[in-house]
Amino acid sequence: MSTQITSMIQSSIGRKWIVAITGILMIGFIFVHMTGNLQMFAGTPDKINLYAHLLHSYPLVLWGFRLGLIAVTGLHIWGTLSLARENRRAKPVDYAVAGRKSRLKVTWTSVTMVISGTVILGFVVFHLLHFTAQVVDKSYASMETAVGGVAMHDVYRMVIKGFSNPWISGFYLIAMALLFSHLKHGAASVFQTFGLRDRQLVQVIQAGAWILALALFVGFSSIPVGVMLGWIRP
Amino acid sequence: MKLNLRIWRQKSKDSEGQFETYEADGLTPDMSFLEMLDVVNDRLTKEGKEPVAFEHDCREGICGSCAMAINGEPHGPNQGATTCQVYLRSFQDGETLTVEPWRARAFPVIKDLVADRSGFDSIIQAGGFVSVNTGQAPDANAIPIGKEVAEQAFDAAHCIGCGACVAACRNGSAMLFVAAKVSHLGLLPQGQPERAERVRKMVAAMDAAGFGNCSNQYACEAVCPKEISADWIGRMNRDYAVSAAKKV
Repeated sequence: MSTQITSMIQSSIGRKWIVAITGILMIGFIFVHMTGNLQMFAGTPDKINLYAHLLHSYPLVLWGFRLGLIAVTGLHIWGTLSLARENRRAKPVDYAVAGRKSRLKVTWTSVTMVISGTVILGFVVFHLLHFTAQVVDKSYASMETAVGGVAMHDVYRMVIKGFSNPWISGFYLIAMALLFSHLKHGAASVFQTFGLRDRQLVQVIQAGAWILALALFVGFSSIPVGVMLGWIRP
Repeated sequence: MKLNLRIWRQKSKDSEGQFETYEADGLTPDMSFLEMLDVVNDRLTKEGKEPVAFEHDCREGICGSCAMAINGEPHGPNQGATTCQVYLRSFQDGETLTVEPWRARAFPVIKDLVADRSGFDSIIQAGGFVSVNTGQAPDANAIPIGKEVAEQAFDAAHCIGCGACVAACRNGSAMLFVAAKVSHLGLLPQGQPERAERVRKMVAAMDAAGFGNCSNQYACEAVCPKEISADWIGRMNRDYAVSAAKKV
């Protein structure tokens, strides 16, 4: 009986469910991550520094969460890449004349999911090395501040210094644009995988995915843009 | 009316194919696309050449035999129509048309425009049976079925198994076909006893036959001559999850 469950999970539809569920979990994470980051606009460095200090106060919870996220990301990548590999194999020859894109519903975002996902993954690795492991700029580790007499890491100053580099801000903005593209298709696709798509709801689902993707793009991008334009000051 | 045709010619499954160019003359706009191919084949036969192999049967849009892509679009440019229901008035006089067989790994080309669609048969066979009492034919309306459900089941049952969904899909996915077949039985009371097993077995057969996976772009729905909705794929995904949950 258990082998049947395993083969169902590994089937085409089983993997689509895994991709959709892990996709939702990652959307949930980045949404919370963004709202946390927006504390950069609080007008005082204390707010985001206290928030970061709080997150690091429970190492067990923090590491449990991080390992969970790594597992979720790994499953998402395994599911998508294995499905994409099969898809390429299933269509070895294209038509000599391509049909009309408008009729065959070819959209730029939907055909570049693997590319956008791969660049976003590359960005995440860099982002972790940059702000979490702090190996890109070693000076971040020694940035200390004190709020109410409690010594803590100065995240506020670290972010400003990080985004003062136009190359880093540029890469960040490109990655966020690709995240928008990835989620515009991905968030709408979740509804189909869960069997919740309905002809009457298609427009609503697509509009909802577009708004969610745009909100995340604007929210995340506002921070490097804010630093570069001087809205966020040291 | 005159048309320039680039038609895919391929001797057998294992031979290399190539495009051959033909000029079709003396056509009228009211001819169907298949009648136009008949004209071409008549001429080829008279010239002692091998006619173009293509599948056809009912020529009234209900059998699903006339599988071919015209200018990269399965069944040609018209909405909700099989190739046999595409008339030459849909094209310009003197236009060049490229005619190809279905392109998908699970549908290997056997000859010219004919692709082997037996992958679909293996899926249907995997679906098995519905539970029907033997003996005399049951009375009509002995099992009450609401109008709404009957209409929905009929919408799914419209699928003629032509394979245009697979042919149009970038991934060569058969999910629209399988979803239509799973759903039309899964909606009706007669299809309930085997419902969970049916979706599991049909999806397994689909995966084994080498079809790709849906990536939610819905080219299938756009070219389907019976306008089967991609919503059925969602329903199949849900049915499949319920089937898996029942195993746990």
